[in-house]
Amino acid sequence: MIALGIVALATLAANGSRQLRYSAVALLGVSIAANALTAGQLTVTQLAVEGCGALVACGILYVAARDRTYGEDPGWRLWLATIVAAAATAACFATLRTATSETVTVPLIGEDPSGVTAQVAAFWLISSGVAILVTARSPVRGSMGAILMITGVELLVRLLTVPQLGLSLLLAWVEVVIALAGGFLIVNERVVRES
Amino acid sequence: MIIAAASLVLAVAACGAFVFRKRLNVVGPFSLGAIVVAFVLVIVTPLDATGGLLDLELRSSGLGRLASSVILATLFLLVLDVWLDEPAYNFFPTALAVGATSLGVLVLTAPLAIFALLVLGLLVPVGSFTFQVHRNRSVEAATRHFGFVALGGCLGIAALALAASLPHEQPANTFVLLVVVLVVAFALLLAAIPFHTHAALLAGEVPPAALALYFGILVPTTFIAFVEILTLSGLLPAIVQVVKVQDLLHGIGLTSAVGGAFLATGAPDLRRLVVYSVISNLGAALVGIATLSGPGIIGALATVIVTGVSASGQLLAAGTLERLSAPERPTARKAPLAALAFVVGGFAMSGAPPLLGFPGRFFMGLIAYQFAPVTGTALVIATLLLIVGQLRAVLALFGTGVERWTIEPRPVAGIIGSVIFIALLAGGIQPEGFLRPIASFADEFLRALRPL
Repeated sequence: MIALGIVALATLAANGSRQLRYSAVALLGVSIAANALTAGQLTVTQLAVEGCGALVACGILYVAARDRTYGEDPGWRLWLATIVAAAATAACFATLRTATSETVTVPLIGEDPSGVTAQVAAFWLISSGVAILVTARSPVRGSMGAILMITGVELLVRLLTVPQLGLSLLLAWVEVVIALAGGFLIVNERVVRES
Repeated sequence: MIIAAASLVLAVAACGAFVFRKRLNVVGPFSLGAIVVAFVLVIVTPLDATGGLLDLELRSSGLGRLASSVILATLFLLVLDVWLDEPAYNFFPTALAVGATSLGVLVLTAPLAIFALLVLGLLVPVGSFTFQVHRNRSVEAATRHFGFVALGGCLGIAALALAASLPHEQPANTFVLLVVVLVVAFALLLAAIPFHTHAALLAGEVPPAALALYFGILVPTTFIAFVEILTLSGLLPAIVQVVKVQDLLHGIGLTSAVGGAFLATGAPDLRRLVVYSVISNLGAALVGIATLSGPGIIGALATVIVTGVSASGQLLAAGTLERLSAPERPTARKAPLAALAFVVGGFAMSGAPPLLGFPGRFFMGLIAYQFAPVTGTALVIATLLLIVGQLRAVLALFGTGVERWTIEPRPVAGIIGSVIFIALLAGGIQPEGFLRPIASFADEFLRALRPL
């Protein structure tokens, strides 16, 4: 439950930040908390693969910012994204919940075997990502939304009872390539803006 | 491992090409060599062989081999054109990486892995979309592409993951919702929802070779992946039971087919004409899939593969015509061979006999009429509009007449267009070899539709 709270707060921090570097650090926080949520369901190798993917992705965005001041002011988009994400998370959990246990017990600290917290976190991250991506004016918030979404997708995939290593590796690569493409666009957009 | 060898060779070559990307005389032949090696590996891989990489299952299917061969041949021609005629150093690693992901998509058997690899492939060309960023809006076009791919990709993977983890006693509406999300996700990836600005902006601002990479290689791969994912995910029986999903596919398909064709008739330039024609053909193919019938599936896949090849040839020719005619409008006087290549590519794009585009379009039209006369009529109207659009382009290119048939200095696009035309003509005269693996896949699709 604490990890879920950290995911929510770090998402808000990333969404609300005017500086890309702070957003990148907050995204790393989201990823660490998301990994902590499902740590018991993955092997060390899988956790390492996805952790490295997240670290590299956030590092790329941090470097792409080039200085501490560069970023995009979210303005009203922050509130819109937060309200939409909260509403969509509740709606998704009501209609698409796949956690099987009838009575949900969510421990404050430690593992949640029912997967409820992981699923709530996944829905929150995906809906936040959609709201940020749809309202983004530049690649700065576009990349951030995309990374939040892929982090949520990773959480959903971890809940499946299928071999995970190949999928973890592929999704980690997707995260890195999203950050690379996003970073490339951020740098190019800055060149256009400053010329 | 041998099944994934072609894809791995291209992936490693993409890394090598990235290192040498600024040395055109090294990276060009190196990329062509890597594509030839991958082609040989695809051909020598036994049919229906299975294997594994990490914990992912792989399978070499007839459709996979056919599509991989066509993709590699098209990629070879694109790389050749960029190396000889239109040097752009970012293109080589991008093309090889796109080839690697496309081939990987065609051998994987896990829907989630197919989707993830597809998203990876669709993100890679962002690097080759941006070009002379001070003079055009290519950064904006690339940013929109990035946004659509990220949105569609993540929503699609999430829908598949949820569908795989749902207990079987779920209400039908839950499955409908997930399938709708999946279909919308693919519509975003394919740029198949007409009138949104993504495809138009890409067509206007992106270099022709990068555009050909997207519409000639990635779009057909995405469509094949969509059909494979439907087959492998186990969602098809639920789709059959709920008519709404079929209606949704029909709706998106018909809107794209007719809307794309309308836009093609009024396209302001050659590139947009090609892009709208591709969107129209994709829409028609979606209608074919929505019929959930053998001829519909065969027609859809055949049309999409031929559309990719034709679009590549036409886009390269359009790029050459624009470059040699600038600052005036493109005309055949400046590059007659490229103009001819554009025109014959247009024949294939609109499914004219005896080219290879015809059988697929015939099957789709036939089954669409059987399904609903209105649908069949709409597809015929879309085809007629496409022909009108292509004829307008012919008039624009040749309308002022060609005083002297002097072939352009470097007729690379023209020669590539001729090669594509000859291949499509040969395939059209003897279509059995092309259609058999597609028909075999259609059988698998129908078996997945109604499992015993």
